[in-house]
Amino acid sequence: MAVSATDAASQISRDEALAFVYPGATFSANRLFLTAEQMKDATARAGEPVRTPLIARYTASVGGTVVGRAYIETHTVRTKKESLLISLDRAGKVQRVDVVAFLEPAEYLAPTPFLDQFTGRHLEDDVRLHRAIRPIAGATLTAGAVTEAVRRVLAIDEVLGAADADRRIESGQ
Amino acid sequence: MIMRLSLSLTFVGSRSLVHASVVAAAMTVGAVTLYITPLYAQSGGRTTADEATAEPGDRLSPEEIERRLGLLAAEVEQLRSGETSGRVPLTKQQRQVLGLGPSAASVYERESGVSFAGYGEMVFQRLGTADQRGRRLGSDASIDLLRAIIYTGYRFNNRFLFNSEIEFEHGGKEVAVEFAYLEYRINQNLSLRGGMLLVPLGFVNELHEPNVFIGALRPETERRIIPSTWHENGAGLVGSAGPVTFRAYAINGLDAAGFTAAGIRGGRQGGAKAKVNDWAFAGRADVSPMPGVLAGIGLYQGNSGQGQFEGTRVGSTIVEVHGQAQIRGVDVRGLFARSNIDGAAALNAALGHVGPAGIGDTMVGGYGQVAYNLLSQGNSRLSLAPFYRFEKLNTQHAVPAGYSTDPALDIQVHVLGVEFKPISNIVLKADYQFTSNKAGSGRDQMHVALGYAF
Repeated sequence: MAVSATDAASQISRDEALAFVYPGATFSANRLFLTAEQMKDATARAGEPVRTPLIARYTASVGGTVVGRAYIETHTVRTKKESLLISLDRAGKVQRVDVVAFLEPAEYLAPTPFLDQFTGRHLEDDVRLHRAIRPIAGATLTAGAVTEAVRRVLAIDEVLGAADADRRIESGQ
Repeated sequence: MIMRLSLSLTFVGSRSLVHASVVAAAMTVGAVTLYITPLYAQSGGRTTADEATAEPGDRLSPEEIERRLGLLAAEVEQLRSGETSGRVPLTKQQRQVLGLGPSAASVYERESGVSFAGYGEMVFQRLGTADQRGRRLGSDASIDLLRAIIYTGYRFNNRFLFNSEIEFEHGGKEVAVEFAYLEYRINQNLSLRGGMLLVPLGFVNELHEPNVFIGALRPETERRIIPSTWHENGAGLVGSAGPVTFRAYAINGLDAAGFTAAGIRGGRQGGAKAKVNDWAFAGRADVSPMPGVLAGIGLYQGNSGQGQFEGTRVGSTIVEVHGQAQIRGVDVRGLFARSNIDGAAALNAALGHVGPAGIGDTMVGGYGQVAYNLLSQGNSRLSLAPFYRFEKLNTQHAVPAGYSTDPALDIQVHVLGVEFKPISNIVLKADYQFTSNKAGSGRDQMHVALGYAF
């Protein structure tokens, strides 16, 4: 144990995080069900297993224009859960990562400077621990879990974006 | 700020896959279904919701099924996330202080409960069959389940928590509580901590999981100059300010009766009926200007006589500086530690140490280490990291007048090795340790270690 509860990033609620990332936006909360093909595609893109078809997504709009999408990603760090709200901009780049639930001892909570490393990133090979993402001294498992979660969300967003585009073409929009 | 939320359930993909998705969703919400079923039975086959929306015998409309599925999916997703309700909203002032907006809610504002984790390591060791001068020695090999550790913790409420580490060493022959403390969170950046505490010096004493430190064995400096694993009873503050973190404890002092020419390791009391005629200060401050980069200093200072040496004040001071950078697969770290024993001459006299067996006035040690994960820049999740460490230490860097030094304690070590992690929680290490000393009796060592942490 290297760090204390007091030197780690704080947790916030979904609503607080959404309001901060997308000021003035209205939100549509969607629960999406990935198809088996989409799960396979997202896993391949992420390089990390996508284990659930149930996806929680918020779409943020300002004046009727979509300004971003945010996903809730839940995973296990050591033996307990962590949930992140991973907010993307309209182009699918990470705007911000927030911890909305962390059931491990707080010593292992990722500090804000670590989470800030993901800002502006899109899904590319370099978004991996020990490459573009530097680790957290004393919380390696957290660092790995967060990085994998961000990759999964970026991949899912790409896959869902492709599905949305197909649907728009089919409907003639 | 008022946020408007609307809920919808979306099926993505072709129409033929929608049915499969519904089935999958039904399976996903199985736990909720189990909860609902008894209520359904008790009401004669219809729930309250059924009564409100459908006549007996009616089949639910696709819209109603979709609505209910949406509600269940939302419920399952919320349960899965581990989030709780009832957080304290942030004030404007809190957000301004943090500079990053809403990141100020309490870490501890969670449900209470038990946490559990652990680690362990097994080490095979073979000593060289000759010393550095080529003198033949017998073969000496051993394998030891060095440590098996259980961490447990309990969060009582949003202010109080308990944390502990129970250690089983050498296959269970030794059992020790390495730390067991209560913590009270004063505010976002400051906590009070009391109980059995790890002395906050160096890299390894607080961070000794085998997948964290490099090499099969801990560096000698962090065993002899900083006597890891070192834990004592006391209380203090834990906090942070921007990129700086700190810990400052008042703990029971070392017991100088256990000091030897080889160091202060025997002076650890381990919190077991510890003598506290003399207290000590132990603290550290670290700064992390960016993720992966860390530098810091640690200090231990206190008297160690514990009332056992009439008329003699035995003071112990350890100062250490350390730094680490982990960037793109490269891991560089270094540490230097120095300890001073005030009153070493009188202590030697009281303990009957003479000649080269005298406790040193000054002990010094340090190491530099570099490792590189060969697979870090690829897409593999494996890690294969060769490493090299150079280390030099002397527990009799200076001795009191009238005492001589033991050249065997002036040690130099080169360690070459490699560690492999199939996943980040499991590590296999192998290294070869070239050991020499001024007496010419240094003996090389070969190690293979298997470690885990969860």
